[in-house]
Amino acid sequence: MTSRLQLRLALWVIRTVALVVPAARRGAWRREWDAELQHHALYLGRRRQRSWSTDMDLIRRALGALPDAAWIRRQFTLDAEVVHDVVYGTRALLKSPAFTTVTLLVFAAGIGAAIAIVSVADTLFFRPLAVQQPERVMTIWQRNHESGAERLDVAPGNALDWLARTRSFEALAIADPFTFNLNFAGREPDYLTAARVSEPFFGVLRIPALHGRLFLKEEYRRGAPRVVILSHALWTSRFGADPSLVGTALRLDAGDPFTVVGIMPPGVELRLFDDRARRAEVQIWMPKPGFDEAEFKLRVYGAWNVVGRLRPGVSAARAQAELDLISGQLASEYPATNGRMSAQVIPLRTHLAGGLRDLLPFLLGAAVILLAVACANVASLLLARGTAREREFAVRQALGASRLRLVRQMLVESLVLAAAGGAIGLLAARWMLDVVGRLRPADIALVDRMPMDVRSAALACGVTAVAAVLAGLMPALQLSRPSSVMALREGRGGSRRAIGRALVVLEIAAALVLVVGAGLLVRSFMLVERVDPGFARDYHVSVLQVFASNRIDTPPKRIVFFEQALERMRALPGVIAAGAVTAMPFGEARVIARGMIEIPGHPTAPGEDAFAYTTAVSGDYFKAMGVPLLGGRLFDATDTSASRQVVVLSRRAARQFWKGADPVGSRVRFQFSGTRFDAEVVGVVGDLRHEALDAPAAAEVFLPYAQSGFRALTFVVRTAPDAPIDLATLKEQIWTLDPLQTIFSAAHLEDLVSKTLSQRRFNVVVLGGFAIVTLVLAAGGVYGVISVSTSQRVREFGIRSALGATDGEIIRLVLAEGVKLCLVGIIAGVSVALPAAHLLEALLFGVTATDPITFFAVSAGLVVVGAAACYMPARRALKVGLAEALR
Amino acid sequence: MKLTYPTTLVLHALASGFRHGFEILDVTGLPSGTVYPILRRLEREALVSADWEDAAIAHDEQRPPRRYYELTPSGQRILGSALLRYRMPRSIASRARRLRPARS
Repeated sequence: MTSRLQLRLALWVIRTVALVVPAARRGAWRREWDAELQHHALYLGRRRQRSWSTDMDLIRRALGALPDAAWIRRQFTLDAEVVHDVVYGTRALLKSPAFTTVTLLVFAAGIGAAIAIVSVADTLFFRPLAVQQPERVMTIWQRNHESGAERLDVAPGNALDWLARTRSFEALAIADPFTFNLNFAGREPDYLTAARVSEPFFGVLRIPALHGRLFLKEEYRRGAPRVVILSHALWTSRFGADPSLVGTALRLDAGDPFTVVGIMPPGVELRLFDDRARRAEVQIWMPKPGFDEAEFKLRVYGAWNVVGRLRPGVSAARAQAELDLISGQLASEYPATNGRMSAQVIPLRTHLAGGLRDLLPFLLGAAVILLAVACANVASLLLARGTAREREFAVRQALGASRLRLVRQMLVESLVLAAAGGAIGLLAARWMLDVVGRLRPADIALVDRMPMDVRSAALACGVTAVAAVLAGLMPALQLSRPSSVMALREGRGGSRRAIGRALVVLEIAAALVLVVGAGLLVRSFMLVERVDPGFARDYHVSVLQVFASNRIDTPPKRIVFFEQALERMRALPGVIAAGAVTAMPFGEARVIARGMIEIPGHPTAPGEDAFAYTTAVSGDYFKAMGVPLLGGRLFDATDTSASRQVVVLSRRAARQFWKGADPVGSRVRFQFSGTRFDAEVVGVVGDLRHEALDAPAAAEVFLPYAQSGFRALTFVVRTAPDAPIDLATLKEQIWTLDPLQTIFSAAHLEDLVSKTLSQRRFNVVVLGGFAIVTLVLAAGGVYGVISVSTSQRVREFGIRSALGATDGEIIRLVLAEGVKLCLVGIIAGVSVALPAAHLLEALLFGVTATDPITFFAVSAGLVVVGAAACYMPARRALKVGLAEALR
Repeated sequence: MKLTYPTTLVLHALASGFRHGFEILDVTGLPSGTVYPILRRLEREALVSADWEDAAIAHDEQRPPRRYYELTPSGQRILGSALLRYRMPRSIASRARRLRPARS
């Protein structure tokens, strides 16, 4: 290869590589390399001997220019442009602190809300669970396809048939949850939630033990040594997270001690109990030693939970189809018990998301709307600020800044704002999730365990970037238009103002949609709150739920025990009435007995529902609850186990079964707790709602506790308003009688009722919060646009007032402009909200989705807010002196 | 800036009178992807100054003028402290004696 050709090739390499070098430095860079290569070529030419390696030397050296060029490019991009843009942008932002503060807050609100909701969605649906491959884990429940009741606990007989007949699952297991008396020395007796699980249970979930091991195969056999696995929560709270606990014996009940063989890892949340029972997570796991003969026959009652792991490639829908088939077989084999029953397959994640699953689309929608409004708001702020920065842009353009450069500069500024806003938003999101965690209704798992990690940081960055581009792109494109400066000078800057107005209309429309949604929820909440539950809700009623321990093992002993406890409570100072009941309305673990009732002389028509709740009451239960007596008499001391059997009916039962006739004096037959009753009706009382304020009262038949001796009772104590009694004093009364007796729960009646509203309260607070923030942002948007337009119209106002216009007339002019914008936004918002509100229907109570009162009130409210936002700019316009205005 | 061994080598080469990029490549034996970024960084930190050689010399040799680099006083100081940490190969100093002046 001649050195001439080599040199040409080398120079061509440099010319090509030079394209990588930033234009500003390209010329000098190329000259330097050209000179070095040409000098080297001369040097090589002077040398005598030539070889292959010296031949290639120039090319090799020319290629060495590439890393140099790349390095310069990287440095240039890093510090010369982006860093410069960031520094310049930050400096520019610091120069207008008011603008920056407002923009930061707006961004923080939008981004924070979006981050909070997106991370909730992420946790519920995507984050790894303690369970491995959770998408294949299904929970299976019973469904009453006649009443429509869903997600019911499973009767053992049905669960065992599912275990035997399904093919869709590689493993199917049952858990039998129960509560356990725990008596540690030196502590108040307490309840633990425990579950006996069948052998494949931990295999279905695939959760390895944190310490120790899972149960062995032989430990699931009858007569095996007694072993337990503890939950992480119990292990840390009761045993100080001591790993040496594994292998030790633990005395849990009166019987033999259990050996602790393992500790579960944290985060094992399964919500095994029916979602209406507000009980704790399982704290103790035990192996279930085989199945009893009796369990195969129980098809109506039972509280088992069934979990299964799908075979690879089998979908939840196929498993559901298979179980439907099996339910059909069971219905024909056991028509009496299984006629209305079918199976319901719910993926574990869906089950854990609980009530939030249905709400989440709304929350995501609200967060998106809020983020969009925040971005629109920032966009109009940036536009307004751009108008003030026109000179700067004009100068920079004149100095040769390309449009791309200006757009990038402005995008970087909005990114700086969004990043700072996002950082504040992230803190706000943490705080919001804290609130969400505290408010969360009982059936939602996982939400309050919101870690701040790489994953949430990535989410936050993503949301922030989206917000920055959404808010910054349009103003950047608009302001960097080469002709924009000239156009404005010639008085044709209308397009920018038009964009500002369009943004405000959009904000108002979006705010209306959210506020209407929140308004409907608030109205529903208020209407539910006002529902009369049939008893007097207040804080002067204390509720104490007690399951008699195994030592009090016969009904007569229980009757004596509970009567003594009631006597002690009645004797406390300030107690007005004290009673007890088996099925406490709104109680935390309600033992509800529902049975067929039979009225001699009143044959029920075929298909007619002759079911009623059967409830035993003791003492002054009705008086303590404030339930009115409507006819006949209440129970008294003469109704004992020795006297004839009597019942009191609820009004609903009287109406439903006696159809208007007076039931007092007639007879009724039913079963309660395995005993047949043939009782005389002695009275009728008002209806009591049991489950929730928005669930109607059902027919109820009350019998005296003295005639039943049921194991569980809930004490209800009403005290005088001026002599409150604390729950500890009531617990003392039980423990004086039996220091080892556990108390399931103690609460005030009002708190119990209030708890059932937690889902609604949650909806109201979360969606209401979104609505308020959006409304504030929209009002800010109106304020901004009217401020700008008013300052541009100062001259006009000056002339008008010179010509005799009063202050009032000028204020009216400004208000008219703002209100017009609001009206357009409201019309746009209503036309979206009217169809969209129907989506909320399932969450409403007592109002329709198109409730005219809500729509009208919200629209009127928005006009008022809009007008208020115009008032300040209008006042400011008036303050400008005439001479100043005309200058 | 961080004084690595290659940086010190480059400074040392400059102090020994090697002034052009390719000379420094040859005398230090470092690849161009290392030497050039070091030179650019030294220049940015004002430890090294750079300029174009006299047009007359270039004209005599019928080639474009080369860019040459020189240590600034602060570069000299930095090199002084760096030499306490690193030992420089003899070859650079010994080859420097045979060097012709780049500019006269």
